[in-house]
Amino acid sequence: MAGWQSGTHVAGTASAVGSTTGSTGTGSTGPGTSGSAGSSAQSSGTTGSSGTSGSTGAAAKAGGSYAGNVVQTRFGPVQVQITVNGGTISDVTALQLTDDGGRSVQISNYAAPLLREEVLQAQSANVQTISGATVTSDAYLTSLQAALDAAHL
Amino acid sequence: MQPTSELGRPDLVAKTFKCMGTVVSLTVPAATGVRTTAAEAALAEATGVVERLFVELDARFSLYRPGSEASRVARGELSLRAASQEYRDRYAEAVEWRLLTEGAFTPERPDGVPDLSGLVKGCAIKEAGAVLHPLGLGDWCLNAGGDVLVAGSPISGSRASWQAGIVDPQDRSTLIAAFPLGGGTSFGALATSGSAERGDHIWTRGSGPSEFRQVTVAAADIVTADVLATSVVAGGVRMLNRATSGWEVEVLAIRNDGGILATPGFRA
Repeated sequence: MAGWQSGTHVAGTASAVGSTTGSTGTGSTGPGTSGSAGSSAQSSGTTGSSGTSGSTGAAAKAGGSYAGNVVQTRFGPVQVQITVNGGTISDVTALQLTDDGGRSVQISNYAAPLLREEVLQAQSANVQTISGATVTSDAYLTSLQAALDAAHL
Repeated sequence: MQPTSELGRPDLVAKTFKCMGTVVSLTVPAATGVRTTAAEAALAEATGVVERLFVELDARFSLYRPGSEASRVARGELSLRAASQEYRDRYAEAVEWRLLTEGAFTPERPDGVPDLSGLVKGCAIKEAGAVLHPLGLGDWCLNAGGDVLVAGSPISGSRASWQAGIVDPQDRSTLIAAFPLGGGTSFGALATSGSAERGDHIWTRGSGPSEFRQVTVAAADIVTADVLATSVVAGGVRMLNRATSGWEVEVLAIRNDGGILATPGFRA
């Protein structure tokens, strides 16, 4: 179960079905950052498949939609299609999903590139606890968690 | 799920202690806006029980204590066969995680010395969580060095979730994200691993540095969250995809360049 990323390989069965979204340049919000996010997606998509990254890169520049292979998951067979726009994966759609008691939604639980402002935001005043890489006892003294604890001691 | 903000700022009481090289905090709601002595006494008793549990596990599993069972195993003075049932159970659990993560999580250092420190803190939090309910606490938040397990709500009797903030690895005085735990959600645990801080217990596949600077995993239980966070730091994008397809988890992974990969649960 290698995940659906194998479906993004531009393999023999994959076919460019044309750019349905077009390249109208609507995604004008920070092309620099979204571009780098896009390259992240590419590297994740081609992990473990050495040799295809070159062709993926070329395809990504061309833009368009690419259907992946059917992949067996723990929920059943799944097939996805990616849409590439200006070197960035702009959309991922499911062509084939299982329907196992409504759990097919889980298949979208894929970690995709996200801009900082797209992440659930937090103000330190509105949280009750802090998660971070393990702090040492010394580092704790200056940590946000210490400030929260101090307010409640 | 009822947003905590609609119910006003929760009134909480907390107690802390030091163990396993970090600080552990237990936080519970104060009784209806007033800090009663009864609530504080219950918290003090519960914290004492949790601390004893952490101290016992640390005494057995710490590699920083020359006299611990883990140190004796590491030095080769004690074989696994002769180790305690508790040590062997933990070792077996770690080996199982190694299989499940295709080697991204490992109970051994690169030099072959058994090292269960990637598992022990999560186990301590889990065991602590199991004793809090019998002690009469239904609403609590346990934070051990940034790994979090909660039950119930910060506002007793409500369905409000605990809001966990996630540290920005590029500026540890700010938060990069929030995640709701407990309350009406299906996630009770949140763990974060980093490749920069105390990364001595995370060994990457191969010899290269980790692709990720920080990885946060939300799960129903703290051991899964903790082990998978460590595994994704060690195993990179491949392990990240394996984690999100194989477990009921939400993941926020921050690349070395600051870029973010996240599952929908972390999307605003």
